[in-house]
Amino acid sequence: MSFDLGKISETLVTGKVDDLKTLTGQALETDIKPGDILNQGLLPGMDTVSQRWKAGDMFMPEVLRCAKAMGGAMEVLRPHLSESELGNAGTIVIGTVAGDLHDIGKDLAAMMFEGAGYNVINIGIDQPNEAFVKAVKEHKPNVLGMSALLTTTMPRMGEVINSLKEAGIRDQVAVILGGAPVTEEFAKEIGADLYAPNAGSAVEITKEYLESKV
Amino acid sequence: MTNRTNYTINESPHFEILSEDQKEKIFNGMMRTLQYTGANVHHEKARELFKKHGCKVDGVRVYFPPELILKALSTVPPVTEIFPWDGDESKKIVVEKNRSYFGPGPTPPNFIDTDTLERRPYLRKDASLVARVCDALPNMGYVQSLGSINDVTNGLADVYEFADMVRNTTTPIMSWSFTKDGCRDIHRMGIAMAGGEEEFRQRPNYIFYGEPISPLVSDYHAIDKCMYCAEHRIPQVYSPCAIGGGTVPATHAGQLVVALSESMVGVIATQLINPGTCVIIGGVQSILDMRFSIYSYGAPELSLLSAAHTEVVHYCGLPMYSTSGCTDTKKMDAQSAMEASLSINAAMMSGANFVHDNGYTESGITGDIFQTVMDDELISMARVIEKGIKIDPETLAVDVIDNVGSGGHYLYEDHTMNWFMEHWRPTLMDRNSYENWVEQGSKTMKDRIIEKTRDLIQNYEGPQNKVPAKASEEIEKILQEAEERIKKEGVAHE
Ligand code: B12
Repeated sequence: MSFDLGKISETLVTGKVDDLKTLTGQALETDIKPGDILNQGLLPGMDTVSQRWKAGDMFMPEVLRCAKAMGGAMEVLRPHLSESELGNAGTIVIGTVAGDLHDIGKDLAAMMFEGAGYNVINIGIDQPNEAFVKAVKEHKPNVLGMSALLTTTMPRMGEVINSLKEAGIRDQVAVILGGAPVTEEFAKEIGADLYAPNAGSAVEITKEYLESKV
Repeated sequence: MTNRTNYTINESPHFEILSEDQKEKIFNGMMRTLQYTGANVHHEKARELFKKHGCKVDGVRVYFPPELILKALSTVPPVTEIFPWDGDESKKIVVEKNRSYFGPGPTPPNFIDTDTLERRPYLRKDASLVARVCDALPNMGYVQSLGSINDVTNGLADVYEFADMVRNTTTPIMSWSFTKDGCRDIHRMGIAMAGGEEEFRQRPNYIFYGEPISPLVSDYHAIDKCMYCAEHRIPQVYSPCAIGGGTVPATHAGQLVVALSESMVGVIATQLINPGTCVIIGGVQSILDMRFSIYSYGAPELSLLSAAHTEVVHYCGLPMYSTSGCTDTKKMDAQSAMEASLSINAAMMSGANFVHDNGYTESGITGDIFQTVMDDELISMARVIEKGIKIDPETLAVDVIDNVGSGGHYLYEDHTMNWFMEHWRPTLMDRNSYENWVEQGSKTMKDRIIEKTRDLIQNYEGPQNKVPAKASEEIEKILQEAEERIKKEGVAHE
């Protein structure tokens, strides 16, 4: 049975969540390798989305709809993918630090990661330091994202990084920071790996970093 | 003399976005939302209070019956007065419908350094500077700090800010705090400046600002502070920063319903605790820019939404906290002036009571006192339009017109002598001839703003020397105790 992976890319770009899930399921029933469904179907679709977004041809709700479709397709596909096929699109734990109730920027970043094929564990706002450490232990993500919108809560990010060190698991995750008052220098200073000024660039910055490490 | 029947006078221009029927629709949308969708209140005591007064409570979710909302609205005061601590009547604030006071905004992390013009973290010294400059600006009717202090003990930026500002301006301050502890410290300072607790009750000298979270959430500290202010009859704002398309619907009507609903939770709490205490709602109403993912402070939608919200809030019989004079630009430029002009004019025409964020740049990330100084001039221009045109025999000047006839001029007329002083005069706008402009240094608007601001910083003393010694001592003592509190308890969490 022949299956057109291009159709998967196209459907992803239109952001049709249910259709894409169905198509992904159908593709899995053929003899196409699951890795090919990801690499030749879904990811090229997401590439188109991110190019259009950068060019200003697509807007956030449209991009997020595509990201949601990608997330849905990945739910179907992930159990069939080997670790190596998953590549960098692993798991991200993301949350807003203790004392901070700002939600929407962190959610945007989470959705963008979902769109890149990540399994996203969004632990929510106002999360105590231990919650981050616990989630890293439990989910073994390759990326930890922290958000802070207040200068008063930014120090929590450094504390979490220290706790990860103390727990001996700092090296297991790439730590990425975001939120309006956070800066590149601050991220360096407290020993984070990455900083993204916005949700759109976060995925790319993370991807480059993870690729440079292998 | 005979009077005329059915003769209408416009004391001021009439600006209206929504009709009565449309306002009612939004009002009813709010009633429906609070009754059937409810709002989360992360505060047990507050939930108990609501329950006691007939609300259904399910976990943290509270459902408000319409009659409770109407009852709360029936006890909000029609007029509240806020007094400058030195008794200067000209700076008194009268919180009543369609009377507008403009001011800066609270808490951005950064500030434009007034010497280097570079963006840097906001420092303690900036709070005094902002207070002093605003004290001198005639169109700043109340004051906020334009930043949150980065160089004091973590968790005390709120308290230090008030301590320094109140001694550098007599214009009433709108304060904020992290938790009820800060709220209490600030209140003690307000009382010290008023000269006693009873004196403060008679003549409140500051306003407190707190925020619920869109959509439909009152977090612990927000409602905790709100209840504290109500108990102590501190005039307060309880208003969200609603992000159209993000935290509230992308449609303006839907945004207004949600923003009104979450604010109403605070209104109900205040009126249950202390009927007749002053509560102001409104907030930042703007959109999420779906291309650049920022909350836009320069969008025309901010002006439209804020003006419409003002109408709805006034329909409820409440005072409105609106927004203007802010921008998405990073450096003072034509864009900041364009965005500020539009929003200031719309806020003025709408008759909002307190209009904040005059001096916000970079979408609320950086405070800029130069922008505030520019806004001050824009506000005075908008006031010209607000004033409207007076029509009576004297202003119609039919006799004078007859006297001058066709041809000639009005420059010799007594009538002109009597009236020309009414024309608005700029302090920043350039109306020079080209030659004079060159002779005076070919200064651009930016140059003139910087010059005026620095002149105020250097030469305007403010009321520092008028602060009663006793009050100042008390403030220092409160600061010390606040330091001890943080040392003992840390930055509070719930
Ligand atoms: C909306 C808002 C609120 C809402 C939040 C509602 C919600 N559901 O999230 C409410 C009203 C609750 C609120 C409350 C407060 N706020 Co507020 N808030 C804002 C505001 C206006 C917009 C934030 C926003 O959502 N922007 C839109 C999103 C899309 O942008 P973003 O969050 O920056 O996220 C982008 C990037 O930063 C990045 N990103 C974000 N997180 C992450 C994470 C990762 C891993 C990555 C990779 C990327 C990333 O990607 C996103 C998309 O590109 C900002 C001003 C501003 N311009 O930032 C103030 C602001 C952050 N708040 C501020 C303050 C002071 C407060 C309060 C203390 C006010 C008070 N007196 O009570 C409280 C604190 C409550 C608390 N404990 O957290 C200050 C912070 C000042 C400072 N010194 O730090 C700001 C700057 C406003 C100001 N000028 O005063 N706030």
